[in-house]
Amino acid sequence: MIPDNQEEQRLLIAEYVLGLHRGEQAVEIERWLAEDEQAARQAAYWREHWVGAAELLEPARLPPGLWRRLARETGIAVPWWRGLWQSTPAWRFASAALLVALVLAVGPLRQPAPVYTVVLQAPGEAAQPGWRITVADNGDLQLTPLAQQTDYRADRSVQFWTLENNAEGPRSLGLVEPGRSLVIPAEQVGGVESGQLFELTLEPPGGSPEPRPTGPVLFIGRAVAL
Amino acid sequence: MDESNHQLEQATVLLLACARGDAKAFQRLYRLEAPRMLALARRLSGDPELAEEALQDTFVQVWRNAVRFHSEKGSARAWLYALLRYRLINQHRRAKRDDAEALPGDDWPDPGPNPEQCSMQSDQRRAMQECLRGLQGDRRRPILMAFYQGFTYEQIAETLAVPLGTIKSRVRTGLKGLQECLRL
Repeated sequence: MIPDNQEEQRLLIAEYVLGLHRGEQAVEIERWLAEDEQAARQAAYWREHWVGAAELLEPARLPPGLWRRLARETGIAVPWWRGLWQSTPAWRFASAALLVALVLAVGPLRQPAPVYTVVLQAPGEAAQPGWRITVADNGDLQLTPLAQQTDYRADRSVQFWTLENNAEGPRSLGLVEPGRSLVIPAEQVGGVESGQLFELTLEPPGGSPEPRPTGPVLFIGRAVAL
Repeated sequence: MDESNHQLEQATVLLLACARGDAKAFQRLYRLEAPRMLALARRLSGDPELAEEALQDTFVQVWRNAVRFHSEKGSARAWLYALLRYRLINQHRRAKRDDAEALPGDDWPDPGPNPEQCSMQSDQRRAMQECLRGLQGDRRRPILMAFYQGFTYEQIAETLAVPLGTIKSRVRTGLKGLQECLRL
């Protein structure tokens, strides 16, 4: 029963937005809010203010597979092979071919099972993969050298980057020692999605002085879902 | 504009783009909002699997019903949180009740002698945080349990081992205090 008293009505809205009314009582309040513009506005104000309480929570790390499931259920997931075909640069096409070759060469995959892989290759040299990235289902990332790498200058650093979206810009994943494997924990990697860009650049000793790459790209590639 | 306000506006822009069928905007909205929504869902459900399921279902609902969002009625973030909270509150019974679970704001000290005299801030979200701080602990605690854990009056009373009538009275007094503080 919706009270006549205005003060009681306001309290009822506050309780409803907080989730204290359930079942038939909640349905009755919802019907009232749908008809009474002023009451609906009051409920909207409360919802807006409660965002402040939700923002006191520390954001959680998203499970790596959640976006994939969501993309599949909403029907917006693009099969990885179609994504590659739609990407015209030849090195992307070569990534797909190299990926197949590598998976066959490496053989059965060890636990934890990788959910994404990336073949990093020198720009314009599609036939020469330099590094392989695998992202496990727990979100950890492993960077593995594929070729003998001796031609780095000793007075420079090699830095690892990822680009999740253009608006946010590249994010450093740290320095890399040429020829050495590296495991980066999921917390540092963040979520990885199909098509996400990874690259290694040559930077001044200790890494780029800017929050973005300043040196030439040594190797580059995009994530492919397995 | 601080980072938080920028993100709030960004979420609204992205949700409006979702309504136009922009899948990339949907992905960016997910990246921007899902981490904290997952934290809230975990609090509300008390079960990590239920929380993920609710988050996924909520985002499916967002993608399919983004056209129903009207930015003139509020922010995207408020809309998203409301969808998630009501989904969890209505569909799931909380897996376990944990009296000892710490809630944000639990450790705030009780206010001084004039608890309701808090200053209104222009930022609505910060205002809520300030106004919650202004409440006496015995009023704040049951309100936080309802918000973060999705508890009913009965569950709050049972968990705190306080008579139902007392809990209702404390929550209502607390809500009145918030209402005055927020000038709603």
